[in-house]
Amino acid sequence: MINPRLSLSNRLLIAVSVVLGAFLGLSAFSLNNAFKSSAETAQKQRLHNYVLTILTAAELTDNGELLMPAKLLEQKFSIPNSGLYAQITSGDQIVWQSPSAIGLFLALPFHPGPSVEEYSVIDLHNGMKLSNLAFGVLWENDQGEQFDYTINVAEDQLMLEAQTANFQRNLWYWLGGTGLMLLIAQWLILRWSLRPLTGAAKDLHAIETGEHPRLTGEYPMELQQLTQNINNLLDHEQSRRTRYKNSLADLAHSLKTPLAVLRSELENSHDLQAFKTTGQEQLQRINQLVDYQLQRAATEGKSNLLAPVSLGEIIHKIIASLNKVYQQKQIHCQFEIERDVFIHADEGDMYELLGNLLENAYKYCRQRVNIVVQSQYQRITLRIEDDGNGIPLLAGEDIIKRGRRFDTQVEGHGLGLAIVSDIVDAYEGSIALEKSYLGGACFIIEIPDQ
Amino acid sequence: MRILLIEDETALREQTAQQLRSQNLTVDAVADGEEGLFMGCEYPYDVAIIDLGLPKISGIEVIRQLREKSFKYPILILTARGRWQDKVEGLEAGADDYLVKPFHFEELLARLNALARRASGWANATLICGPIELNPASQQVFLDQKQVELTAYEYRLLHFLMLHAGEVISKTELTDHIYEMDQDRDSNVIEVFVKRLRGKLDPNKNLNPIETLRGRGYRLTLPRD
Repeated sequence: MINPRLSLSNRLLIAVSVVLGAFLGLSAFSLNNAFKSSAETAQKQRLHNYVLTILTAAELTDNGELLMPAKLLEQKFSIPNSGLYAQITSGDQIVWQSPSAIGLFLALPFHPGPSVEEYSVIDLHNGMKLSNLAFGVLWENDQGEQFDYTINVAEDQLMLEAQTANFQRNLWYWLGGTGLMLLIAQWLILRWSLRPLTGAAKDLHAIETGEHPRLTGEYPMELQQLTQNINNLLDHEQSRRTRYKNSLADLAHSLKTPLAVLRSELENSHDLQAFKTTGQEQLQRINQLVDYQLQRAATEGKSNLLAPVSLGEIIHKIIASLNKVYQQKQIHCQFEIERDVFIHADEGDMYELLGNLLENAYKYCRQRVNIVVQSQYQRITLRIEDDGNGIPLLAGEDIIKRGRRFDTQVEGHGLGLAIVSDIVDAYEGSIALEKSYLGGACFIIEIPDQ
Repeated sequence: MRILLIEDETALREQTAQQLRSQNLTVDAVADGEEGLFMGCEYPYDVAIIDLGLPKISGIEVIRQLREKSFKYPILILTARGRWQDKVEGLEAGADDYLVKPFHFEELLARLNALARRASGWANATLICGPIELNPASQQVFLDQKQVELTAYEYRLLHFLMLHAGEVISKTELTDHIYEMDQDRDSNVIEVFVKRLRGKLDPNKNLNPIETLRGRGYRLTLPRD
């Protein structure tokens, strides 16, 4: 429904406007209601006071006649059409009415009874609307005779309405003004707080166009995790690209030797059997070189962005596979894997690392393979040892040190170990070869985790 | 011994199939996973060779489905990339061994023989029953250390009987395991082969290596060494 590409600041502005609108509207409504009801209460109170004014001004003669002064305290009663009217009735007879009501045929037909107030709103024939308070009084003269009167005080509703309208106008001005101010403030705040995002987008664009290799600006705390990760990703990509380029160059380079051997053999050899042997050897070498360099290129390498993988799980899977393949050898494999050893690494890399090491152990052991995995101080230590003949230490060290130029002289161990050594390098770890107490080789690999 | 080969690269498939046949093995070679799965369910194989990257149905899926349908014959996977994750996945799905391409044919043959042997409970590379000795690698048969000359079908028959020494094997089963799917077959021929084998392996008629069980089939009676 909502356009997913709607900008953040527009989203916020729309949301704030809706909330603000609803909030201000509700306040206006409730303020208006409160004002109306308090204006009505005030009006009733006022009418009541007028009734009391008239009561105090009225005098009763002995024969029960009502005498009213010519002028009342409230001026409005004396000015015709002032909007404030008073009338005193006795039964259906109008006994007195205020000068303001002259010409108006007010007939206020209320007899609420002694000491009772009755409030009502009445519509007159001429279109006037009055709020009226009727008050019943029972006067007694000195002879003890009782006279029944009703005092009506009416006020034109127009006055109340004018008051309300005035209030509403004021209310709208204020609320509208406040709302507008808030929106402007909100817009300014948004611009200010979203500025780092715009900056980051610009920096990213600079990377796209090749101006910068990574994000260089200063970013607020909330963005730092993100920009840091983007930088990590860029670095990771960069190092992978470099590895790709290197392994491609290395591959091309290393293929030259076997190709040269084959060519010279092709040109000079007269013995078919010797040529066949050399051909096989060189093909084998080419195949190994391709395998090795491909593996190197495919290595993901260290990155903070990788999800943790469980070494125990991978080892279990590989061991289950190797047990199947080396079923007849009846190998006794012992594990000592710390629970929950996770490492932030590429799963494929870990499979290659452990697969090659474990396969070598299975291949060269007599009967026993030991695996220990420990995690301490953010370093993961792997020990893989077997009870085979072991690798001559010198040759082993050679493989480990020279890494990328694996030595085919060490039969079988060569390629696998070269791959292992490369992966360990890519994770900034270390690899050591010792003699195992079981009699064979013991590889110790340490990899820092983050 | 009858082998199913599922490999999509034509050159490699044909070359391998031909080399296997030259080793006196019965081979059905197909090019995609769908056909491979069908064949694998339809015919009794002793070993299957399955490439992991197959069209239509992947190698892993073929293995998984074969194992789900309780086919127990050993499976060797071929992988081009040689990635450990692929190998582990294949072995987890139910394969028994793997080989990374390109491979030496001798290596493939050794693995196949080892798998077939393992599946029928043999520990050593050479199958020995009493005075009879069969070497699958060199395809030679010896009787009391003297080499016996066998024809291709006689060899296939003896190889299968020796792999399953002690078990009763029906004529149909024997036919199924020594003939490829589109070859003409006649189960009466089996009787002829058995008769000739008896003649060659028991010239003095005192060994009686192959027993006939009327209506059920044949059994190699000599104890495994």
